[in-house]
Amino acid sequence: MSNSPLMRRGAALAAALMSASLVLTACGGDGGDTGDKAAKTRSVKAENGTIEVPVAPRRIVTIGNTSLPFIDLGGKPVGVTEVSDSDIDVLPEEQKSVYKAAEIVGSSGGEVDLEKLAGLKPDLILVQFHSNDWDKVGKRLETIAPTVFWGLDTEWKAFADAIAAAGNVTNALSRQKAEFKEKVAKIQKTYRKIIDDTSFVDVSRGDSSDPGTFYIADIGCSEIARDDVGLDLPEAAEGKDPLAYEALPFEQIGELSKYDVITYPVNAEGQPTEPFVPVVKTNTWKALPAVSSGRALGVFCPGNNSYGPVLRYLDSLDRALATLPAKK
Amino acid sequence: MTTLALRQDGPGTEPVPGPRRRLLGLVVALVVLVVLLVLSVMIGSTAISPSVVWDALFHSSAGIDQFAIRDFRLPRTIVGLVVGVALGLSGALIQALTRNPLADPGILGVHAGASFAVTVAVGLLGIHDARGYMWFAFAGALIVTLLVLALGSTRQGSSPVVMVLAGVCIGSVLGGAREALQLTDPDAFDAMRYWNAGSIVGRPLEVMWPILPFFAVALILAFAVSGPLNALALGDELAVAQGVRLVRTRVLAVIALTLLAGGATAIAGPIGFVGLMVPHVARWIVGPHQRWIFVYSILLAPSLLLASDVLGRIVMRPVEIPVGVVTAFVGAPALVALARRKRASGL
Repeated sequence: MSNSPLMRRGAALAAALMSASLVLTACGGDGGDTGDKAAKTRSVKAENGTIEVPVAPRRIVTIGNTSLPFIDLGGKPVGVTEVSDSDIDVLPEEQKSVYKAAEIVGSSGGEVDLEKLAGLKPDLILVQFHSNDWDKVGKRLETIAPTVFWGLDTEWKAFADAIAAAGNVTNALSRQKAEFKEKVAKIQKTYRKIIDDTSFVDVSRGDSSDPGTFYIADIGCSEIARDDVGLDLPEAAEGKDPLAYEALPFEQIGELSKYDVITYPVNAEGQPTEPFVPVVKTNTWKALPAVSSGRALGVFCPGNNSYGPVLRYLDSLDRALATLPAKK
Repeated sequence: MTTLALRQDGPGTEPVPGPRRRLLGLVVALVVLVVLLVLSVMIGSTAISPSVVWDALFHSSAGIDQFAIRDFRLPRTIVGLVVGVALGLSGALIQALTRNPLADPGILGVHAGASFAVTVAVGLLGIHDARGYMWFAFAGALIVTLLVLALGSTRQGSSPVVMVLAGVCIGSVLGGAREALQLTDPDAFDAMRYWNAGSIVGRPLEVMWPILPFFAVALILAFAVSGPLNALALGDELAVAQGVRLVRTRVLAVIALTLLAGGATAIAGPIGFVGLMVPHVARWIVGPHQRWIFVYSILLAPSLLLASDVLGRIVMRPVEIPVGVVTAFVGAPALVALARRKRASGL
């Protein structure tokens, strides 16, 4: 059934009024909180094109996966979309405070409260979420403030570079990158023989994993251990979905016996994460050669989308590798 | 006469199989069930030789494969057996109670009540462990069915039609509320994805033990009302004339089927088709005698469930398909084929 011309004109008018009201809300106020420096602009390239952003943005709203990486770089967003409790729990205290001080403008990427967001009078919006969500709200975000969008497939290091450049927090980034390089080099040097001679597998379970299943982690922190550190970890064949997308039944735990070392997720205190506890409780897990010989290593991975949590992961990996008994 | 039956051929219009055929069928059904129990322990996403399976079951050896049998396959098979029995018997009860060959326990809002309660447990209370939200599912199923029973009881007595309507209405409301909750909480939606599909994977036996006493009570109640339900199939007036106490029979039947379906849903999530299809098959084999239908349903339902589960383990190795998905794929064409038979089961 097609709409009548009158209805179409009505809908267009309503949309125009809504966009105008959002723009007016965004532009309203005395403007005294944005100085001359913020008024100057520079160009940044992103998935939604070349965007003119303020040289020194002061009122940044982060949407989707940009919130924690931006805060990790020392940024202080005025508005954020909600982040899961499990992600908040592993943040350093000062970053938790920054997150809590920001106004919540939506539960997830696509569910942004545009009126509330506009009311914050942002001078820059940083967005990373699914392209479907961008299609839904992207244009309307752009009417509120300069908006920089990255898709979910952006590689984490490139993402950190881009977010630092757009949000003008490059000093912290340089420091973090140098530290990352140093830690990777140290691990490679200290454990060269282990890296060369040992087959690893990283296994995990998440909050939303199906009961009675686990997965082989080949993305996230595991990807860093494989691609940057050089550990011999399984990887999906070219063009195939990551191994982590396959929910393996617990029965498959026995298949892990072909690896020399197993890494599994632990919390900051070194205990298996809550979703992974059912795995370590099984007799099959306990009977694995790697487990019974002390070659199952708990590694803490607080995140893998910016350098801060990755550095903490590398520290944990370093400590875990140090406990590895000599190979018989 | 109050009836929901789509076909009006009552008892007596179909040839009733003799006792020999019923007994022979019973032996065959029992053998099929035993074979499927064995297959369920033998076959899985990992190839384990029969000798290792034997070793795992009858010796205390401590190899990885032996543990896999004892930790995962054996509990899964036992859970499949128990859940199958509960679903089959509850399906037979609801079809007898409503005189509706298309009825299954879901029609009284059992699944909707359980799903809503689990959504509240996962989404609002943050309970992610099956052992925790199982009780919510059970309580949700019980509360909704009691509500349906109350709404379906008028001054003139209880009416299956009103009960079913109440079940459908409450089910729709709770379904909407559940979806609203899940939309506002994507994490809860994600966590419930697998439960909603219906699965017996990863349900340790500790999850099932507390439910067993309820099943035992339901089993006794079901067979206690099987006689009155036979009379009820002839119509309310004739049943009353034969001395059947309508309200008592219906209340006891509803309690039994709720304990069975609620318990099964709490353990495995909503598994469709088993409770709908198996009583049909049983009726086709044994005719309209409820006690025989119940016995056959108790044997055939776990067979269907276990066969579907085994199939789900091997078609996409090493990944598995939840049994709830497979029962729909296996059950739907089988039911259509049966329904097209001339003597397919009227009530």
